[in-house]
Amino acid sequence: MPRPLWAGSLSFGLVNVPVALFSAVRDQGLHFHELHEPDGARIEQKRFCAEEDTEVSLEEIGHAYDLDDGKSVIVLDEELAEVAPRRTRTIDIEAFVPLDEIDPLFFDHPYFLAPTGEADGPRRAYQLLLKAMEESGRVALGRFVMRTKEYLVTIGPRDDRLALTTMRFADEVRETKGIDTGGKKPAKAQLDQAVALIDALSADWDPSEWKDEFRGRLEDVIERKRKGRTIEAPEARDEPEPVPDLMAALEESLAKAKRGGKKQGRGGRAKARA
Amino acid sequence: MPRSLWNGTISVGVIAVPVKLYTAVESKTVRFREVHLEDGAKIEHRRFCAKEEKEVPYDDVVKGFEVGKGKFVVLEKDEIAAAAGDPAHVIDVESFVETTAIDPVFYAKTYYLGAGAKGGDAYRLLHDALERTGRAGLGRFTFHNREYLAAIRPLDGVLGLHTMHFADEVVPGEEIELAEPSKAPTKQEVEMAGKLVGSLEESFSPGKRKDRYRKAVLDMIERKAAGKKPKAPREQPPEESPDLMAALEASLQGGK
Repeated sequence: MPRPLWAGSLSFGLVNVPVALFSAVRDQGLHFHELHEPDGARIEQKRFCAEEDTEVSLEEIGHAYDLDDGKSVIVLDEELAEVAPRRTRTIDIEAFVPLDEIDPLFFDHPYFLAPTGEADGPRRAYQLLLKAMEESGRVALGRFVMRTKEYLVTIGPRDDRLALTTMRFADEVRETKGIDTGGKKPAKAQLDQAVALIDALSADWDPSEWKDEFRGRLEDVIERKRKGRTIEAPEARDEPEPVPDLMAALEESLAKAKRGGKKQGRGGRAKARA
Repeated sequence: MPRSLWNGTISVGVIAVPVKLYTAVESKTVRFREVHLEDGAKIEHRRFCAKEEKEVPYDDVVKGFEVGKGKFVVLEKDEIAAAAGDPAHVIDVESFVETTAIDPVFYAKTYYLGAGAKGGDAYRLLHDALERTGRAGLGRFTFHNREYLAAIRPLDGVLGLHTMHFADEVVPGEEIELAEPSKAPTKQEVEMAGKLVGSLEESFSPGKRKDRYRKAVLDMIERKAAGKKPKAPREQPPEESPDLMAALEASLQGGK
């Protein structure tokens, strides 16, 4: 069981359920340390005043915010703490919205919620909320404070549990206005052919078929380097050029797909190129 | 017109769709610069060798992977790049899956794709065909020196690209242990909770809920710039409810 990142209570109406928060994704990436090449020692970062050229401690550092008029305001930790939201320790549900109205673009980080404590009431209330949302196809919209920040979140059912997802605010999502959407509407015959190609290359979504080959290759490179072998970078392929005759390309692609030129869910170039 | 982060080509069969990649989501969290309080000067982060206690130029810095306690395998930058995968700017779409079948928990970052210089018709065709089929294209591509799995789907009139988490990065629900209640909620309670959900129903309008914390920080900065003293709000923590039914009923009466 992962470690909880936050504990508090989920509050809807007058019902309060003590809950703990767990991340629903974990970092599996390989991490590197910066080293000093000549002696292999670790690298440390030090903060220096650019003007005086002397090292400064964290206590001597302030946060500057640049105003539009070119001036800047210096803000102290205490001042930031003063405007930080109160640690209310509750997730307040404000509304229930249909899940299918929220584009996944708004989702930021996924978590799970689990009820805590020994009392039976909150465990039942947790199940109750889960059931009620499963039946309604809606998810809860709420807010909560974690560390010093207030988050907008959705809470909904996933894997028979309540999942909490932090959300982007509307003004953090860029407009698509100004992005080139290409040429004219395709002719019906062309669109039909493209749909047929998509159908021919259709597969079921099975995440386990896609492996992180980058991680695998990196492990491989580390292992070979450890044994003192040399590693060469792969050559870049030429980028494919747009074809003049889309219809002919569609037909060729479709014929290839039907011959089984692509294996479904193969998960990409399987051989390490490194 | 925003600047593109990356230009490349989506490849489906023998069809090439030139695209430009744009940021779709930008954090508006208030960011500060570090400054030296004493003189307001800029703070620089400098790299020091821990052993020699002296500053080292960036050219002397290498990346080490710890293979044992204090034992590192050093990789040159181009050796890491060698593992990154095909350096060509190509997104190889291998299959198409139902968009609704993908749990959004797999989506890491979102980008917009715009049509590239040539082949705008192919872009439009891919967009429209994906829209009609309700499917997303899945493929791999190399971006910023690492290989990603990406899902491409229609999004607000353009093509959107999500970088994806791999299956072993997603925590399955079973790993989160749930203490079962002594008895399941009664039908009456579920109905009551359903009513509570119903009483707080609304449609999703993203602009309705603002980032109050960001506003508080910006207001404080503004007050400070005007030479005023900041002030802080206060809230009361709620108490745990003992009687579920009573609390549900009370909420419903309050919610109406």
